[in-house]
Amino acid sequence: MFITDLRKNFYDVVANQRVALLVAADIDALCACKILQALFHCDQIQYTLVPVTGWQDLSTAFLEHKEQFRYFVLINCGANVDLLEMLQPDDDSIFFICDTHRPVDVVNVYNDTQIKLLIKQDDDLGVPAYDDIFRDDEDGGDSGNESDEGSEPSGKRRRFDEGAIERRIERQRAKREWEARRREILFDYEQYEYHGTSAAMIFFELAWVLTKDTKDMLWWAIIGLTDQWVHDKITHMKYVSDIATMQRHVSRHNHRNEDEENSLSIDCMRISFEYDLRLTLYHHWSLYESICNSYYTACSFKLWTLKGQKKLQEFLADMGLPLRQVKQKFNSMDITIKENLRDVIEESSNKYGMKDIRIQTFGVHFGFKNRFLASDMVHAAAALLESTEKEQNDTTDNFIKALDSLSRNNLDCLKAGIDLAKKKLIAIQQTVASCICTNLILSQGPFLYCYLMEGTPDVKLFSKPLALTLLCKYLLKAFVHSTRNKRCKLLPLIMAAPKDVEKGTVIVVGIPPDSETSDKKNFFGRAFEKAAESTSSRTLHDHFDTSIIELKTEDRSKFLDALITLLS
Amino acid sequence: MFCEKAIDLIRELHRMSDGQLPAFNEDGLRQVLQEMEALYEQNQADVNEAKTIGRADLIPSIKLRHCCLLRNQRCIFAYLYDRLLRIRALRWEYGSVLPANVRFHMSAEEVQWFGQYKKSLASFMRSIGGKEGLDITQDMKPPKSLYIQVRCLKDYGEFEIDDGTVILLKKNSQHFLPRWKCEQLIRQGILEHVMS
Repeated sequence: MFITDLRKNFYDVVANQRVALLVAADIDALCACKILQALFHCDQIQYTLVPVTGWQDLSTAFLEHKEQFRYFVLINCGANVDLLEMLQPDDDSIFFICDTHRPVDVVNVYNDTQIKLLIKQDDDLGVPAYDDIFRDDEDGGDSGNESDEGSEPSGKRRRFDEGAIERRIERQRAKREWEARRREILFDYEQYEYHGTSAAMIFFELAWVLTKDTKDMLWWAIIGLTDQWVHDKITHMKYVSDIATMQRHVSRHNHRNEDEENSLSIDCMRISFEYDLRLTLYHHWSLYESICNSYYTACSFKLWTLKGQKKLQEFLADMGLPLRQVKQKFNSMDITIKENLRDVIEESSNKYGMKDIRIQTFGVHFGFKNRFLASDMVHAAAALLESTEKEQNDTTDNFIKALDSLSRNNLDCLKAGIDLAKKKLIAIQQTVASCICTNLILSQGPFLYCYLMEGTPDVKLFSKPLALTLLCKYLLKAFVHSTRNKRCKLLPLIMAAPKDVEKGTVIVVGIPPDSETSDKKNFFGRAFEKAAESTSSRTLHDHFDTSIIELKTEDRSKFLDALITLLS
Repeated sequence: MFCEKAIDLIRELHRMSDGQLPAFNEDGLRQVLQEMEALYEQNQADVNEAKTIGRADLIPSIKLRHCCLLRNQRCIFAYLYDRLLRIRALRWEYGSVLPANVRFHMSAEEVQWFGQYKKSLASFMRSIGGKEGLDITQDMKPPKSLYIQVRCLKDYGEFEIDDGTVILLKKNSQHFLPRWKCEQLIRQGILEHVMS
């Protein structure tokens, strides 16, 4: 059931209890977890934090902890599946689920006792009405009627027979109709997968209601929201309206800055609204590198072609930026150039067809040297979360590192993350360039398909879901810019990359088509399930996003064929 | 040269200046005591000779040996006392049960001394702080909060805290627990205090 008053029905309930936090492995969940941890520290609520990366992890963690905890808080996992059936908990376990995955499973919505959803109901949920899906009194009535009829004396039974048979046929027909309609409603409801309001924002609102919100928590909420935008989980409209909500909180926290006499020390954290360039990590890199490796500019200029490179040089010359300055580290660029940089770039990029080079976002600065944009932090934390640096790195090790990098006093962790993010972006850009130039993207009819061979450089980076999704997004955008085929521009993309060479598995990701007004609804979850069933391929639907699965390499071709027939 | 062995004992302790307890150097101590005995005998003989025969030229050597004896005595006292101070610090660091390798380095008398120190510390702690006494070996620095956030570095298994609840300590899980229960595990290196 949905919880509207988070303070009364969630926070006060767990106030004197011990709680288990099961947190999924994405940045929004990490931010939400940090906010909740800070709140728990304030009120000394004892908790245990366990990172989970998939459904199997979740089940194992639950089994291990169910003896000791009664209250479980699940962050960014658990809403889109029938949780009670999967975990089989005891009757007194209570689950608080704060998840951005939609659609929320109907059992979770209509369970009144054990499952509490910390989800805003004005998110367009479209949950079917109770009576359309559940009908538990009718069956009892049916069997009761029949047994009644059976116990009547045999003489009377012959007389009532025809009427009774007719009524029974009528009831059965109505039941079949109801069931068909129910299947249809559920199919429509569960067909598309999408994401709702950021979990970090929901917990920040809880903190605000408790008046325990701090600038750190506000910053984490902003990072959570930006993560949804960077990894393409929400529509642009929703992003803009959520930014407006956050802007209200930011101005509320910033009112002290305006007082000239008692202004804050330079070491205090200051969050500011920025209408900044869409160049990833440009403050921590050189401007040239950032333009080359941000997907927006790289795709608009088509930097994998020679013509594109020339256009870039033209663009820089048009703005009057000398190459030597542009290739330097951003912080060492000439101050006269840096002053009007954003406006100059916006003007020039309008001429080259890039209308949205600027995006609304937030930046933070504390101390003289440390200035970060929200998207910088998202990229750094995501790179740390999925780093393949050390061979034996446990996913939980990476989780802890990424969690640490979000705190203000772990700046070297953050800087390491930024370096990793740069490497990741360069790798993505090179892979995109090679895929487009060698025409690795094939149109299979209802969708586009691309397979990364095992020997591709940096292919290990792409065995992780977030990195592969980012690559998918950039590749699709680049493909749309480079192809002449009008029909192909509207197709979704499925990408496969080797995940584990010894076990012989690949990871398969599907993303919806790239368009301006896309509502980011992804139907590949159900499609993958059906295709796997029909070909009995050995698949593992372990990830919380149903559009990301693992598949055995040998079953790849028959799985694809099944998908093609399913979707055409 | 006289007193060299005594200086060796001191140097041994000085080498381990971070409070570690080296093994009790019984051999060295015995050698120093033997040297002292030898010096004392010689001195006795010389004093008797000086008194009876009246040889005044023996007096400087008597004085020299006497100084050496005093020096040796001072070195041995310093050695034994410094060891006792280190053992006392061990009680505050490790608690009342010492790890086996440390106990191996103590002599029998030192073990006895440790037992008596433990007893007197315990009776002192019982006498202050009301009925149950106050454990002053906890919280050596004033704590900032009742509960601390800890991260588990190795798989440990189940851990019971005061109110009976059991926590499963798995690698890389984080917990928010009462400070006094965690200190023991932090010292053992199983948990790590996370400051955020």
